[in-house]
Amino acid sequence: MTAPTIAAGGARATLRRNFWRGVWRVLRRKPSRMLGVAIMILFTLMGVLGPMLYPERLPRDDNALYGPPSWAHPFGTDFEGTDVLALVITGSRYVLLTGLVTAVITVALGTGIGLFAGFRRGRWDSVLMRITDMKLTIPGLPLLLVLSTVWKFSSPLAMGLVLGLLGWGGVARAVRAQTLSLRERGFIEAARGLGLSTPHIIGRELLPGMAPFIAMNMLIAVTGAVYAQVGLFFLGVLPFEANNWGVMLNLAVFGGGALTTTAALPYLLAPLLAILLLTLGIVLVVDAMDEIFNPRLREE
Amino acid sequence: MTRLLAGSYGPDNPGFPSGKDPYTERLMKRLAAVTASLGLAAVTACAGGTGGGAATDGGGGLYTTVDALKPGIDANAPINPFNPKGNAFQGYNVQWLGWTKNHLTDPNQFYPGVAKSWEIAPDQSSITIRLHPDGKWSDGAPITSEDVKLSIGLAYTQGGTAYALDPSASGTASDIKVIDDKTIKISQSAKSPNSTFVRGIMETFVVPAHVWKGVLPADFWDRLKATRTPGPQADAARAEITGLADKVISFAPAKDVSAGPFVLQRVNPGEALLVKNPYFHNAANVAPSRVKILNYTGNEQIWNYLIAGKLDSAPFTAVPADVMKRITRTPGNAVVRGYSPVGNALGFNQSKKPYDNVHVRRGLAHLIDRGKVTRIASPEGGAASVTTSGMHREAAKAWLGDGLGALDPYAADPVKAEQELKAGGMRKRDGRWVMPDGSPWKMTIHVPASFSDWLAGAKAVTSQLNDAGIDAQVVTTADYPLYLEELTAGKYDVGFWLVALGPAPYNIYQRLYGTANGWQLFGGTLRHVPPGKEGNWMGGPETLKAEGGGTVNPGELTLKLNSASPAEQKKIVATLARVANQDLPVIQMWDYVNTQFVNTTRFTGFPADDSDTLRLSSGVWLGLGMIKKR
Repeated sequence: MTAPTIAAGGARATLRRNFWRGVWRVLRRKPSRMLGVAIMILFTLMGVLGPMLYPERLPRDDNALYGPPSWAHPFGTDFEGTDVLALVITGSRYVLLTGLVTAVITVALGTGIGLFAGFRRGRWDSVLMRITDMKLTIPGLPLLLVLSTVWKFSSPLAMGLVLGLLGWGGVARAVRAQTLSLRERGFIEAARGLGLSTPHIIGRELLPGMAPFIAMNMLIAVTGAVYAQVGLFFLGVLPFEANNWGVMLNLAVFGGGALTTTAALPYLLAPLLAILLLTLGIVLVVDAMDEIFNPRLREE
Repeated sequence: MTRLLAGSYGPDNPGFPSGKDPYTERLMKRLAAVTASLGLAAVTACAGGTGGGAATDGGGGLYTTVDALKPGIDANAPINPFNPKGNAFQGYNVQWLGWTKNHLTDPNQFYPGVAKSWEIAPDQSSITIRLHPDGKWSDGAPITSEDVKLSIGLAYTQGGTAYALDPSASGTASDIKVIDDKTIKISQSAKSPNSTFVRGIMETFVVPAHVWKGVLPADFWDRLKATRTPGPQADAARAEITGLADKVISFAPAKDVSAGPFVLQRVNPGEALLVKNPYFHNAANVAPSRVKILNYTGNEQIWNYLIAGKLDSAPFTAVPADVMKRITRTPGNAVVRGYSPVGNALGFNQSKKPYDNVHVRRGLAHLIDRGKVTRIASPEGGAASVTTSGMHREAAKAWLGDGLGALDPYAADPVKAEQELKAGGMRKRDGRWVMPDGSPWKMTIHVPASFSDWLAGAKAVTSQLNDAGIDAQVVTTADYPLYLEELTAGKYDVGFWLVALGPAPYNIYQRLYGTANGWQLFGGTLRHVPPGKEGNWMGGPETLKAEGGGTVNPGELTLKLNSASPAEQKKIVATLARVANQDLPVIQMWDYVNTQFVNTTRFTGFPADDSDTLRLSSGVWLGLGMIKKR
């Protein structure tokens, strides 16, 4: 009994090694993919370690309100004379954590509901899909505006939870469609014929086939969450945090006149650039993932 | 824009009857040809790009501005001054009886509006108004006392100081007597004369009776009389009159019949175009032949209009320092500054700890460097408050004279702040201030998110307090109405609050010792309601210890300002200023500076710095004949 187990374990390890070698090959094939990974690592480090690099209360220079870019302040200073780069870095944790929570909830709920509805079909499918349809008809932004009057979203977990609860509908629909298609395939028929349990069929047979799709949706959900929360902060409906990227955009435009004159332009550009970079990193990594998980795209 | 160009020169323009100005007609034809050849886009650019256009409108010129009272022009709104969105632009196509000067100490000074002159009874119990003898509506009908009487009736449906239906309210117009076609006398109830009565009457919109007469029922005046009688019929009459409010607000005259220097010709979502009213009593001195009021929904649009040199004048607009520099670089643009009876303060909810303790409030006042806060929040439109007196610095100088210097300025002084905070029982632990019982002190300052200067100011305050060891943060509320609702409901500990809203001293001190601080006037009797009830969010005590012993009821003193003689008012104001300075229900942060913009490329004669006309719309400047064509 021991020998086959060891053999199976060794085969899995070999598979894992081959997988990571494949990943490395795919990444190396296009330098842009490496750049994407580098950007993602940079933002992860920024979110985890960034706030630790600065004191709890960022220093201010009373004589440099809306100061121009310099070596000391690469993106200038804000209306209070605080370094804009420091604001972007310390503010990244809230933005990224919200994005992550949103993505996890979106994917977990969307995948769970889609898989269950598609696999069980019948009444469960009807009920769950009607709920999904209802959810999809609710316009997200107006609902968030209303919610923001009663809920202050001071924690990124709360913000991520709400965005996640509002964002799973599309994923659920797509996963259900994939499930309906896969469940009629021969290997699922065979699994059923072998008398394998439903959790095994869903977890081991269906889910791996959809993993790339789900992973890509998860990354795209991060960008959606970043846009949504920055937008809400920009509109001024969420609590004020000087280092929130949306608040920075709002104050640069409405308080500093960044769209009219140049003094507050770096204050506007810094969070915009951060959002742009993050989106670029995600898009490039999604491109790599597409090839990693889709055998047809592999060029070897 | 296309409609605007075509219509501006058409025969329906009363300011420019067709055929009377061949040059204009020639140019119009040429423009029409250009329009046809270049198409809609070119016309739009042409109409939008010019601020002048003097040669194309009979020589009077086009005056372009924005109306501070109408952000977001609603093209479908009625031409109705009682409608908040109505296309009735104060000073242009709608007039008050007189235009309030907002004098520092005398609220009863006015420029002529529909009224040419007025006599105020020495005890302010009545005002006799004489209309311009040659005053006519834009359709040629004379403006008469009956128009004023009907306008007063319409104002009663909307309520207000002079038009309250509560029989015990003071300062209401109780008797309206038409003396002749051009003279009308209005008296206030003799029981409780009120100094705000005159201003309330003079700030009445006057609308044409021949257009509006159907809006009020035939027996309206009998019903109004019935509201002042005892018994249930009075309640029924009051309900009937207030029930007319919506009908008045929604009334839409078919066309504009204006008493002002201009009459509305057309309006679209981008702008309103008004043309000169040839029947206006001072038409000969009204320079522009047309006025264009541009739409705006945010300050940034006004900045861009100013930078493009489009506006001949713009009312007070919050402007960042760099944008101000850019605006003043535009040829012809100039900045004029004057007094504005508005101040901004940090208000405390004294029913919440530790803000119930005067030493804590004083300690905070000594920790805040108001100069730095103002430089961050309102560098161009504000001046750091010299102290907390409840008044704008200019009004304080006029009312208190040397007494202003005797008030504690609450200069930034960390040593004094520490002494005061300790006197208030606060303790310092590991460099951070905590509550007397050792629990954390988290100070939250609330501001509406849409007020960028308040937001920047609140952030600057919290930064300074955090530096001093107080855990302070800013929390925003989505919009101003919600902010006021939550503030009034007592949900906030500390929030920004407008103060010094003069010119009447009663109005100034109402902000500190009025409804917001628990003093309610019911049936002519003043009472103090507990904190958290009926709008009492400040939660201050009913009486305060005065300097040199004795107690003062500041709410009572404030109410007395309404009926006191000028000499008595001066004494009361001095007492209230001392009490406010000592008790600090608020910490005044900055006084607003009325910063306005003019462009002298096309017109001249704009008000100079500190002119009292800066507190009135540019429509009033035009109607008074101040503005001249260059």
